[in-house]
Amino acid sequence: MPELILDRVTKHFKHKIAVDQVSLRLEEGVYGFLGANGAGKTTLLRMICGVLKPTSGEIRCDGAEIRKLDGEYRYLLGYLPQDFGYYPDFTAKRYLEYLAACKAVPKDISREKVQEMLRLVGLESDQRAKIRTFSGGMIRRLGIAQALLNDPEILILDEPTSGLDPKERIRFRNIISALSKGRIVILSTHIVSDVEFIADKILLMKQGQILEQGSVSEVTESVNGKVWEYLAEPEEAMRLNEAFAVSNLRNDGDKVYLRLVSDSCPCHGARQVKPGLEDVYLYYFEEVSEHVENLERRAL
Amino acid sequence: MAYGLKERNKQVKIFQDPDWRFPLNERKKLESLSYIHQETACKRIRYVPSFTEFIWNELRFQSWKHWLLQGSLLLAALCLALFLRKMEATDIETLAACSVLFVFAGNLILSSIARLFSWHMAELEQTLYVSLKQMVCIRMLEAGITDLMILAVFLGTLGGHTMDVGSSLLYMLVPFLWSDTLYLHMLVCFRNTSNFRSLGQGVLCGMMTLIPLMWESVYDPEWRGTWLLLAAAGIFLLTAEVFHIFGKIERGDNICLN
Repeated sequence: MPELILDRVTKHFKHKIAVDQVSLRLEEGVYGFLGANGAGKTTLLRMICGVLKPTSGEIRCDGAEIRKLDGEYRYLLGYLPQDFGYYPDFTAKRYLEYLAACKAVPKDISREKVQEMLRLVGLESDQRAKIRTFSGGMIRRLGIAQALLNDPEILILDEPTSGLDPKERIRFRNIISALSKGRIVILSTHIVSDVEFIADKILLMKQGQILEQGSVSEVTESVNGKVWEYLAEPEEAMRLNEAFAVSNLRNDGDKVYLRLVSDSCPCHGARQVKPGLEDVYLYYFEEVSEHVENLERRAL
Repeated sequence: MAYGLKERNKQVKIFQDPDWRFPLNERKKLESLSYIHQETACKRIRYVPSFTEFIWNELRFQSWKHWLLQGSLLLAALCLALFLRKMEATDIETLAACSVLFVFAGNLILSSIARLFSWHMAELEQTLYVSLKQMVCIRMLEAGITDLMILAVFLGTLGGHTMDVGSSLLYMLVPFLWSDTLYLHMLVCFRNTSNFRSLGQGVLCGMMTLIPLMWESVYDPEWRGTWLLLAAAGIFLLTAEVFHIFGKIERGDNICLN
């Protein structure tokens, strides 16, 4: 089981600091990187994969710098980039066979492995179709399949569920949960529900830095006493929605149920409740995650 | 003393006995075996493909169109060489034909490097066991081998000509170096997802080889120094361009941005 150490890893792009002095120790388990767009998650993941060279700092795998390990390190790696690339004229099967060859999957098990992965992501019946004919969700599933082809010990998935429908998302979460034993799985997302149930450790990233890290309960503990519930009249609900960070809003008969995140009591009669990961996200990033945004839109 | 002698005699007897074995410490044996078992269980047996396998894997996933074009080009080189021999073509005519084919064959294969950098594949390919840098090297090697095959075909036809082989090589090498350097630069800097655009760039760079043919006098011996200088500059530029590509891959800043 490899151990990854990030030692004061920094990345500058001209005058912008994308990742700022990040130090982490990653061992077996699922790590969920949560952060708004532009928080530096993708840059950090690209550095862990060895695609980007850090401006300063070091990434070590079992004590050795990953760039020095070269192919030895890449042998352990499975990566799904945010902008997943594919040759459109390839069929799904040929594409996976190509990547299996490039990942040094032994020839005798390569075909079997390709079929296994196609079955796992539900693309078995489409294996002979050209990738250019695939829908966004199918392409994403193909991406997940290629990342798992070499049975990687370090699995890095950047926004793995974007473009997947709810059923596919749940299926993906179950696949990751089942595969997490004996591996380092790093998931980056801005969708809280993607990591809430499967991540052993949540890492909140903002402006290139890790704001908070720990298990779901440890992270939610940091906003304890700052989450409130309130049943308001529709007019008052509109006012509160504009004045406070609202993590949940729904119609409840004539009234509107609100779940607010605030350092102090937002209004008379509001009741303190146990925080969830959505509340933590809202507290730190002051913006609504995709899931909550959809709920609000529906309620209003 | 007597005890020592007795003991030695006993030991000699023991060693003379062919069935004698050192007594086994069963506990230690089990401990050692369990330690070995633990170590082997932790070891991941890795399959390391050979260099030829690397190359074969890279070549077998090229499209049939690529192989068809390459085959056609080699066939065209062979037919043209035979035709020139039959027609008893002049040195300049032979050089023109050879230079153009030489550059086109190289550029055709180099266009597959552009493919590696397109379709957002570079970022993913950089994380594979066979890295992007190695893939680029294999494609360059392929281009080199094809060019050598074309050269071999043409050198055969140059046998009966007045121009010596060294000069012929120099006159072919200079346009090749300059054209390929420009083409490589265009491929990486203006990478795109259209095969036709890279093909167009290849044709444009290939046409460059015809520039010296506009002035036949440049093949006179007094211009030899200039040709040598241009060859040295071309080698320098091509090397710099290759290192520039490798640097880009190494830093990764630009390969994620296609």
